[in-house]
Amino acid sequence: MAPRLQLEYFDGRSARPQRAEIQLQDGQLQLACGLQHHQYPLGSVRWPERQRHGQRQALLPDGGVLSCADAARWDDWARASGLRDSLTVRWMQNWRLVGTALALLLAVLLLAWRWGLPPATEAALRWLPPALDQQIGGQALAQLESHWLRPSQLPPAEQDALRQRFAALVAQAHPPGQAPAYQLHFRAASAALGSNAFALPGGAVVLTDALVQLMRDRPEAVLGVLAHELGHLRQRHGLRLAVQASLVSAAAGLVVGDFSALLAGVPALLTQQAYSRDFEREADAEARRCLLAAGISPRVMLDFFERLAQQRQHAASLPIAFSSHPADTERKRFFSEPP
Amino acid sequence: MSNNNDRTAADSTLGNLSGWPHSQYRKRKLDVAFTGSGSEYFRIWIVNLLLSLVTLGLYLPFAKARRLSYFYSNTLIDGQALGFHGDPWKMLRGFLLLAVLTLAYGFAARFSPLSAMAAFALLCGLWPALWRAGLQFRLANTSWRGLRLGFTGSSAGAYAALLPLYVPALLMVAGQFLFAPERPDPRAPLPPLLGLSMAASLLLMLFMLPWGVARIKRYQHGGYVYADQQTVLTVPTRRFYGLGLKALLLTLLPLALLGALAAIVVAVYKPLLFWMMMALPLAYLLYFALITPYVSARLQNLVWNGTASELLQLQSDLPARPLAWLTLKNWLLTALTLGLYRPFAAVHTARMRLQAMSLMVEGDLDGWVARQSVAQDDAAGDAAGDFFGIDMGL
Repeated sequence: MAPRLQLEYFDGRSARPQRAEIQLQDGQLQLACGLQHHQYPLGSVRWPERQRHGQRQALLPDGGVLSCADAARWDDWARASGLRDSLTVRWMQNWRLVGTALALLLAVLLLAWRWGLPPATEAALRWLPPALDQQIGGQALAQLESHWLRPSQLPPAEQDALRQRFAALVAQAHPPGQAPAYQLHFRAASAALGSNAFALPGGAVVLTDALVQLMRDRPEAVLGVLAHELGHLRQRHGLRLAVQASLVSAAAGLVVGDFSALLAGVPALLTQQAYSRDFEREADAEARRCLLAAGISPRVMLDFFERLAQQRQHAASLPIAFSSHPADTERKRFFSEPP
Repeated sequence: MSNNNDRTAADSTLGNLSGWPHSQYRKRKLDVAFTGSGSEYFRIWIVNLLLSLVTLGLYLPFAKARRLSYFYSNTLIDGQALGFHGDPWKMLRGFLLLAVLTLAYGFAARFSPLSAMAAFALLCGLWPALWRAGLQFRLANTSWRGLRLGFTGSSAGAYAALLPLYVPALLMVAGQFLFAPERPDPRAPLPPLLGLSMAASLLLMLFMLPWGVARIKRYQHGGYVYADQQTVLTVPTRRFYGLGLKALLLTLLPLALLGALAAIVVAVYKPLLFWMMMALPLAYLLYFALITPYVSARLQNLVWNGTASELLQLQSDLPARPLAWLTLKNWLLTALTLGLYRPFAAVHTARMRLQAMSLMVEGDLDGWVARQSVAQDDAAGDAAGDFFGIDMGL
């Protein structure tokens, strides 16, 4: 004989609680209330999930509600009748499984960050038109020129010489028609930027006078720096960083976003630093490739790093600026390796 | 007829009611209790999050249904819990619809700024209807003592309610469109007409905000139904302006103090200014953590104390300062635990907000019956809301 449970029943038509008795039989929930008899298939009833406090409430498909104030009585009856929680509910009730879920969650987040984010960014970037790059880069350049940059003080002959040599290098390093488009700008910068070069989305490459003057006797190093910036352009690193930051924000928003949009922005800031380092390595690889294609030894860069290290005092920390990269030893090793 | 006799006669017809009789009239106070626990919700939240991430978001409607079920079944009004009847599969449909709309907007943005603006205008046009559909779905799927709640606000009402807030926003966009130069040059000063139009729209928005909020709340709280009771909001608009003024003062006062402090610091010890600038984001966060819950608590009290139906009177007695401190504590702990404290924060906040509410009911609840379903004037909207199970927010 299937066990019965006495509880309160709201029939969905009036707010009055009625005494009722339920039991499970033949895969149906049998409900006896006064002189009335109802039955419902087991699958159509929304069974309560076990929780510490509060009532157990079962929702019937016709709008009725079964309510048992004593949770322990309900649990005993449910167990005796063979009602089992769904897999998800069982997972949520068990602390060990929850611990496993937490570990899995962290693993999923880590994997997504390491291997999911770059392809997702790639896909997103394909959707963004090149016109957007140019718009962003144009605005950024205008901003920089209004506060940080002045017209170059270098003699035009020197500028032209560098332009031609770099154009030749680019042509040598890329198959015809595949060279990325760029516009080379010479600018004099404030002391905060110092000897620096950076690439903006859309193709603008800015070279400061201080850097040219620093390596006046070794113009090949300047070419190497420019090739590095070209590497950034080729991979659309500027925009990539922005897209990645937005994707990370979106994921963080899933975790705490409905609580605070501000807190959701913090992880994006932190991961940006980590990704920039990867981009720097890519750009360095591109620089080395270009130098080798032009017949210049990559070792010219070692001199540059040394002189830069001596000079570095108040360098700005633009993420795609040349003179703000850590781990100089790693870069020196990279450029001094045989190809 | 003495009062005593009346009370005894009334008591005998009440049967075995819990709670205490409030006065000589047959009014009874129903308390709201929240029995949820943070550690319990944490377990639900973690598994929900994992499944949502692994399914790239498709599990979200199911996660939401479970979350609502948990909060509802732990909300006890007069000892009886609320029930959530929403079908997660319907909510999945609504979720996919909103996802498709968002993707379409992103796709349109790719083509040109004009198509992006057109898509944005379309979304703005759809928003009140979606909002109403969301309210309908949520309330029709909420039950207490077996009887469903409901929302009877019309589509036209939704648009009328949101209009005061749309107008300044549209003016600002129009101003940008008309007066902004073709190629913005950051070195040039702002064109005077553009600056004027932006300032005017902002001021207009500020002035219309309390009125806009009043209209929205009046629409919302004027549409709630339970059994045959229909609620209505009876708070005059000037109370919303009073609250708005208080909020404005609370915003301006710290800014004024900060300005004065900065002036003193500059006069005394200039390098300290740099550290003050660094601390500015922190002050911004602090402001949000403290002032927003303060205003929110006052708003909750204002609107719920003014919501009543023929036999029901809602009350809210939420003290603002404890909520502000709780919010600050929640923020700090959530940040420190990298988000893991979030479910505990949600449960504590829900408890404070819900347990401040109570209902005054006149008469015997047992006699209340479900209302007949009234034919509504836009069945299409209802059908869409029901088919798609749209449930936005919260």
